[in-house]
Amino acid sequence: MGDEKKRAGAGMSRRTFALGVGGGCALLALGALKAVPAEAQVRPPGGQNEEALLAACIRCERCVEACPSHALRPAHLEDGVVTVRTPTVGFNDGWCDFCEEANGGAPLCVAACPTEALRLPADATAESVILGKAVLIRDWCLAWYRDNGCRFCYDACPYEAIELDEYGRPVVVPDNCNGCGACQNVCVSQKEGSYAVGATSRAIIVVPESEA
Amino acid sequence: MKSQKLRVIIPLALLAVAGVAYAAHASVGTLSAFGWESISLICPVGALGTMLASKTMVPRAVISVVLAVAAILVLGRAFCGWLCPVPVWQKLRGLFKKQDTGNAEGETAPQSTLSPLTASEKKALSKGCAGGCASCASHADRKPADSRHFILGGTLLSAAIFGFPVFCLVCPVGLSFALVFLLIALFGAGDVTWSVVLIPLLLLAEVVFFRKWCSHLCPISSLMSLVAKANRTFQPAINDEKCLETAHGATCGRCAEVCEVAINPRHPQLGTTFNECTRCRACADACPGNAITFPLLSKRPAVTGVPAADDVPAGVGAAADLDEPLLDPAP
Repeated sequence: MGDEKKRAGAGMSRRTFALGVGGGCALLALGALKAVPAEAQVRPPGGQNEEALLAACIRCERCVEACPSHALRPAHLEDGVVTVRTPTVGFNDGWCDFCEEANGGAPLCVAACPTEALRLPADATAESVILGKAVLIRDWCLAWYRDNGCRFCYDACPYEAIELDEYGRPVVVPDNCNGCGACQNVCVSQKEGSYAVGATSRAIIVVPESEA
Repeated sequence: MKSQKLRVIIPLALLAVAGVAYAAHASVGTLSAFGWESISLICPVGALGTMLASKTMVPRAVISVVLAVAAILVLGRAFCGWLCPVPVWQKLRGLFKKQDTGNAEGETAPQSTLSPLTASEKKALSKGCAGGCASCASHADRKPADSRHFILGGTLLSAAIFGFPVFCLVCPVGLSFALVFLLIALFGAGDVTWSVVLIPLLLLAEVVFFRKWCSHLCPISSLMSLVAKANRTFQPAINDEKCLETAHGATCGRCAEVCEVAINPRHPQLGTTFNECTRCRACADACPGNAITFPLLSKRPAVTGVPAADDVPAGVGAAADLDEPLLDPAP
């Protein structure tokens, strides 16, 4: 015979009503988290429209599982609150060949995405879909700060987006780069004992096009 | 008790399968969306959220919603009873409770329903049943509440306003699978992130701390209970020739006592409506006369809470014989 007996509206106790309204408002507040600035991410093929990707992604992580070269990872809390568990690239572990080898040039992550958060036009090719742009950080690059003639990234690039300057040091040609990550994947900095002072990433990394 | 064990094993097995598939890079997915290659079945709440947020009709999402509705029409809230990992996490509470009361019973089988009623519960039962079991203290927690529907509304509204499926961010089903993947990345690849702290905390806050999650908050449960109002199949039915109450005139009420959503199969008008039934089989397992089955179509017409008008002897119901221990603590 306490508060729970007092009815509010359609046969519902006040407590239930309050819980429902409170919970509903909590979800609206959660939606407002979208206003919290998030770091721009390099997205898998077909996820370049950030607004559309966030709108459709249900964070099921099927694309991450589908990637045959292990080049995708779910975003972490550090990448942004609303971004958590959406797909982003991890080119240290693999790079994106548009599934040329595994699926004849049709990305498997796009095929696996159930909600069309990753969506490509029918005529999309590896060259036409720009995931990001490679950026070389000279202070951390063996060829630049140690002048040792390292040219792994130059050899790995499938799109002639890296040239060697007159001293044999790699230079990115942004116009040719589609952000596939092959260079970042082979870069030997930050592994096998080659650590440059102050380096927080490999010496060549793919960044979102907006930040290149 | 076999089905009660299975109800723990199946969700954990699903998590394990998803984890193995993740580690092996097989794109099987999670309960948020599972399938193979381009075939996918999406969680209906996620599918509705994604379509509202992106304001487009996504074929696979539409198909998923239709199939989910069809499944709910046939099986009601069976997902809640058999596949969802959340009730398994909530059983963790039962584990701690048992230790608190110093009950030296076996280590596993965290079936909180098995513990004998405490004195206060008995008191509440004996008092409450004068006015029907809906007001029983022990049932108030279990009885599903309409607050869920507000939250489903908030979920869909928020997705439409802010342009992303908001609930997916905190969905405990999705978080359970995310936790498995995070642990694989943490121990497999040394991937250290704040998510490893945040996701378990969110899960704890939602489903362990908030023990009414399933009955009062979950929008998936809300969707299922709304659709299941049209469900008429595989509902618990009592064989009157075996039921102690009808066959022998005894007082029993075990089925109502053990029901996790406070349905009273013997006297439907005293409990929750049948659309909340999760097919957990607790009533069938508890029935001393083995009188409860889940037939395709029950003989009774319209069992969804319409007062059966026939005799309900006063005092017969979930109250049963309160002086006797209602359950053996160790079977």
